[in-house]
Amino acid sequence: MNRRSRSVGVLATALTVTLALAGCGRDDDSGSGGAGPGVTDDPCPNAVDDSKGCIYLGTITDLTGVFKGVGEPFTAGQKAFWDEINKAGGVGDYEVDVTRHVKDSGYDPEKHAELFNEIKDDILAVSQSLGTAHTNAILEDATNESILIGPASLGSNWIFDDISIEVGSSYCTEAMNAVDYAADQGAKSIAVVHFPGDYGDDAMVGARIAAEERGLKFTDVPTGTVDGGDDQSAAIGAVLKAKPDYVIIATGPKEMASVVGGTAAQKFTGKFIGSIPSWNAAVLDSPAGPAIQALYMQASSFPTWEADVPGMEKMRAAAGDTAPNDWFSIGYSSGYVMKAILEKALEDDKLDREGLVDVANSLTGIDSEGTLPEGTANWAGDPNDDAVRVTQLNKVDPKASSKISLAVDPFTGPTAENYEFTEPCYLMK
Amino acid sequence: MTQLLGAVAGGIGVGSIYALLALGFVIIYKSMGVISFAQPAFLLAGTVLVTYLSPEIGFFPALVVGSVAIAGVALVVERVAIRPMVGKAVFVIAIITIGIDIIVRIVSGMFVGSDQRTVRDPWGLDAWEVGGVYVEQRDLAAFAVTTVLVLALFAFFRWTPIGLAMRASALDQEAAMAQGVNVGTVFAVSWALAGALATVAGVFAAAGRTVDQNHWHIALLALPVIILGGLDSLGGAVLGGLVIGITQQVVTTYHRDWFPGLDTNIGSITPYLVMLVVLLVRPYGLFGTREVERV
Repeated sequence: MNRRSRSVGVLATALTVTLALAGCGRDDDSGSGGAGPGVTDDPCPNAVDDSKGCIYLGTITDLTGVFKGVGEPFTAGQKAFWDEINKAGGVGDYEVDVTRHVKDSGYDPEKHAELFNEIKDDILAVSQSLGTAHTNAILEDATNESILIGPASLGSNWIFDDISIEVGSSYCTEAMNAVDYAADQGAKSIAVVHFPGDYGDDAMVGARIAAEERGLKFTDVPTGTVDGGDDQSAAIGAVLKAKPDYVIIATGPKEMASVVGGTAAQKFTGKFIGSIPSWNAAVLDSPAGPAIQALYMQASSFPTWEADVPGMEKMRAAAGDTAPNDWFSIGYSSGYVMKAILEKALEDDKLDREGLVDVANSLTGIDSEGTLPEGTANWAGDPNDDAVRVTQLNKVDPKASSKISLAVDPFTGPTAENYEFTEPCYLMK
Repeated sequence: MTQLLGAVAGGIGVGSIYALLALGFVIIYKSMGVISFAQPAFLLAGTVLVTYLSPEIGFFPALVVGSVAIAGVALVVERVAIRPMVGKAVFVIAIITIGIDIIVRIVSGMFVGSDQRTVRDPWGLDAWEVGGVYVEQRDLAAFAVTTVLVLALFAFFRWTPIGLAMRASALDQEAAMAQGVNVGTVFAVSWALAGALATVAGVFAAAGRTVDQNHWHIALLALPVIILGGLDSLGGAVLGGLVIGITQQVVTTYHRDWFPGLDTNIGSITPYLVMLVVLLVRPYGLFGTREVERV
């Protein structure tokens, strides 16, 4: 053998060994020894009990983009939930891992889809997929492969999908309830300041439907692009011109602060009700803080951080020193849904992808120990049975650790109560 | 009418910020013949630094310390990454500034954290009502500070030895060197000035608002400004900034009346439309030096 062919031989051998080792490693990760992809008889990394197998759940979220303020705490909340469950013995003969396959989309739908393809062979289900358009980008693939998805998004579209295990009221329903509340307070006119796109349009359409039902004057005020910064002078001008009694606001916290602060600085005294993503306690430290405290309420279907229910008590204990954050709490609470599905799948001997989808679609509800709104996880019926329709209003409360507290108990307004969903609200803009 | 005057007042505030940004671009262009794309990163880095300093030492000292610190960072960047490239094609240096921009922006963004930060300026959203027109204090403050800085800059270029050296170098680099001007010092001072101006602009852009990792976007508005005013005109940068700022605010305010069928407010793209028109009609800008090509 000459020197050249000997080198080639050594290289080929090295490649073969490397590929073989790589193959072995992947099998270990993806759980070839278990019931299917994402389920392994081998223990999880950092397992509490090495004798248990591991269920891998994927996360595709935003850790560096415009919604990293949602993605980071949501992911931490889910980890806290499963850490507690694993410490308490896991689910059947398995512990659950939500840390190995965490991917950062930077809030880019295309990247989101790429990352899903990267992890899909190694996971049983997706415990968090942040963003409506982003989750829509993977929906077809996930449906084809029967991969259950937990959307970290409250679009009104999820009730129409069998593989989606959404929690909470949609932005559309939230806005309907907010407008019904405004009408009950004597409002004659409303405006909706909202991002363009699924989130903002979902809220706008919900508010418009309710305004028509209640006979209120309606003004639509779209803002600039989602990451366009916080120069909201156009929205501020439009609100001041329309002079509505109530403003429904479906933007990020920065834009909300700009609009509330900017209008209040020009003596606007109407009230604001914001969708869940419009709130972040940090806005109270901004110059708009006093105006927000005086004029703003948050619409949500989830209990506040301090809520006196067993699940939230456990969540607070699991959070430890973590600063109170709605998204941490919702991430934690969403774990109850996946846990219920996994337990039922084990009970029915269906711990594989198709089995999980079957089980999810047979549920009529779960026990979330008070962390999730009434009506969550009722996926056995038609989409209108799935839709959670309850909303509570939270006021700014500097004394509360999360800076908000319950102002109006959970309610379902007449518009949301009677509305029949036939398509996602945001498609009707 | 009050709506128009309110938009003009807001435009003057925003335009002042654009002017400061554009001055940084122009100063570097005049000294090196290069457009520095690192300005957005210096803006973000300076603003983030001030959000950390302001609670500790107060807004105005933080503004001064932050500006000096970023001037220092810009000096280091110039010495390490730009100076060795002097003499290479302008295109190559411009590409290097893009690389610097990305690195500095990412590092600065890491210090922003999950929640928005504030510079804790004294004006917030307070406004004075003058004849029914709401004039925000932060806009007046931005205009006042810009006026002071512009006067100081003009005095600097008119009466200080290094300022005169920079003007000489801008006119004819080789002739300036022959007269004993240290061109390296000129480059360094121009980068330091641009870094400090970007910081002041970034901080005033954050006044009354919050800062996140996308705060640098505003620096892109300096490009239409320098195209309008002329790449090598300090006066053009100031006037261009004000014109672009006022135009943008007026269009933003009246968009819903003028273009009711358009969902997306075109105020945000107005500066670029102005830039396009200027490039087509008067490519060297209102006050820029017209290039003479001998054939």
